[in-house]
Amino acid sequence: MKFDISYTIDALPRLLEGALVTLQVTLVGFVLSLSLATALTVMREANNVRWAHRALAVYISFIRGTPLLVQIFLIYYVSPVIGLDIGPYTAGILAITLNSAAFVVEILRGGLASVPSGQFEAASALGLKGPALWGKVILPQTFIASVPPLVNEFTQVLKASALLSTITIVELMRVSQQIFSRNYHPVEVLLGTFILYFLMCFAVSRSAALIEAKLELRRG
Amino acid sequence: MADKYLELIGITTRFGDVEALQGVSLSVARGEVVCLIGPSGCGKSTLLRAANWLTPPNEGTVRLDGSVVGHAPQGRATAAQIRALNGHRARIGMVFQQFNVWPHLTALENVVRAQMVVLRRDKSEAEAKARQALADVGLSDKMDAWPERLSGGQKQRLAIARTLAMDPVLMLMDEPTSALDPELVAEVLAVLQRLAEIQMTMLIVTHELGFAMRVADRIVFMEAGGIVEQGPPQELLSNPRTDRLKAFLDKLSLTTLPKDREHAEI
Amino acid sequence: MTLDLTIFVDYGPRILLGFWMTIKIVVLAISLGLPFGVVLALARRSRLRVLSWSALAFIEIFRNTPFIIQVFLIYYVLPFYGLRLPAEQVGVLALAAFGSAYFAEVIRGGIDAVPSGQLESARAIGMSDLQAMRHIVLPQSLAIILPPLTNQMLSLIKESAILSTITVQEMTMTALRVQGETFRPFEAFIMIALLYWLLNEVVAIAMRALERRWTTKPVEGEA
Ligand SMILES: Nc1ncnc2c1ncn2[C@@H]1O[C@H](COP(=O)(O)OP(=O)(O)O)[C@@H](O)[C@H]1O
Ligand SMILES: [Mg+2]
Repeated sequence: MKFDISYTIDALPRLLEGALVTLQVTLVGFVLSLSLATALTVMREANNVRWAHRALAVYISFIRGTPLLVQIFLIYYVSPVIGLDIGPYTAGILAITLNSAAFVVEILRGGLASVPSGQFEAASALGLKGPALWGKVILPQTFIASVPPLVNEFTQVLKASALLSTITIVELMRVSQQIFSRNYHPVEVLLGTFILYFLMCFAVSRSAALIEAKLELRRG
Repeated sequence: MADKYLELIGITTRFGDVEALQGVSLSVARGEVVCLIGPSGCGKSTLLRAANWLTPPNEGTVRLDGSVVGHAPQGRATAAQIRALNGHRARIGMVFQQFNVWPHLTALENVVRAQMVVLRRDKSEAEAKARQALADVGLSDKMDAWPERLSGGQKQRLAIARTLAMDPVLMLMDEPTSALDPELVAEVLAVLQRLAEIQMTMLIVTHELGFAMRVADRIVFMEAGGIVEQGPPQELLSNPRTDRLKAFLDKLSLTTLPKDREHAEI
Repeated sequence: MTLDLTIFVDYGPRILLGFWMTIKIVVLAISLGLPFGVVLALARRSRLRVLSWSALAFIEIFRNTPFIIQVFLIYYVLPFYGLRLPAEQVGVLALAAFGSAYFAEVIRGGIDAVPSGQLESARAIGMSDLQAMRHIVLPQSLAIILPPLTNQMLSLIKESAILSTITVQEMTMTALRVQGETFRPFEAFIMIALLYWLLNEVVAIAMRALERRWTTKPVEGEA
């Protein structure tokens, strides 16, 4: 068999549609992950309940110590058994959210550590408390300090989304499998897919490097 | 000097737009001690690093005992040329301002390693040689010490021992005492003086004029990428022929007066 | 939902067989990928443009694509060029290639962290580039390299689960089979999750012990 680029070109329109789904899933997963991680961070900082901290630590350790693919299977296959009839999309996005949040919590911890403690004191001297203190003063600075690792985490989620093909979500990876299982030209089709993934990830990680350089510059 | 042991011929080195050396030629005779002086940034280090081809010049030739160490410009070096260069480097000891002792090896291992790797000496021979070299620089009691535990002066003496164990025929020293606390300078200079006494051929960049007076056979004054004036120490330092050397010596003696110590940077 | 403990007893041995396969694959992938990562890191620093650019391209391509597509591509490309290998070997190759790109970046960071005077003094005494790397620079990089290297090794353990998609009989594949036969997904997947977790922790602890042994030597820069 010879490499025939026309199979790549023919597949391109459908692959691009798949890439769009990949981006959607990634975006939704990332936003949910960021929200969950923010909530967990505020909870961790705001209360001193020992078991809650323990539970959070175990959750983070479990997520980081086990493969995402296994986490996806756990949620996807187990949810109907326990009477939860969620479809693959919900299961997949839930898995990605729970996974990514464990990493984002650690990123935000780093970002939070870079907020000078004087900020807390100054804000409470102004009478800011609770939600206002966090929403107006602490969190914005935490996010700004965390931008480079967060962009990097976005590419991680983007790459992770390809695993959702294993639970029948029709994103880029799944689309390419569908195409080559019909035309029997896996190499041409997969190469196109590979290049699309590379372009997406490379664009994001380049922009992360640029953002990092900008932030460095602003810090002087 | 009739006998040309080390020959630097027409060395020109450019860093981007900066011409650090402008066709400098300099020879050193066997057993001769030459001290290089001159203001900061005039190209002393670059010249020294051309001598063992560590910073290959853009133009020029270096010969040691008649055989070519390096010649520029030149295309990509052949494997044989690289081997020959490494062979020359093994016989040319270099001592750096920042010591560059190897912190992951003990003092003894620092001196043993290159002998075994480069000269392929076996372990017992290399260790015997290393003990002798460490004794020569007064570090017999520090054989098993980690460099981290050594003072600056001890580190520099270790670096000297490391090159001595290679049986060098020439030593290049780039401000060997400039990074040392003042009270540690003397112990290193004493080692260098002993090397001069046993007729080691040396090219030394230094700001220690008193030391240069004592050990140098010749002092070479550089400025702005070229040699301005050279001669026997006594003659050169007491009777500078050029205004530039005069100005340099004036500034040096002024700034090294104790009350002006904070301006002593040259 | 009730936990069916008999699953653990009945299928435990099969899962453990898969576990063993996972360990074998990861160990092989590391022993191939780590040396290749060193080669890539050195090539990246080479003065030869072709070499440094190829290394850069390899590293960036493997770091900027999902592992699953790398696995698929390698799985289908090799026979395309007439190279028919068992799935296990394809899996090891893919995992090693993926790992080497990350190893290379870690190693390059470690090399760059060693002061340039160290390399220079080694070159000045007559060592070749490779000798200087091996005897002077790389040993000093170790302390810097080891923690991120550990993370990359742990990541290989986790990524190896993806080899189940090309039918490698490792632990995740085994669990998929077990859940297909028993319809007890929770037992099947929690069992392997715990084993992955355990392996992860054991390797992390072992590597930290190794780090401590290495860093008791004074490897920081000179005062
Ligand atoms: N690696 C380098 N890259 C760029 N410029 C350099 C480099 N090394 C030296 N130079 C420049 O070359 C000139 C001579 O430097 P150097 O030989 O170190 O002077 P000296 O040792 O006399 O103080 C200086 O202008 C210096 O800035
Ligand atoms: Mg200098």
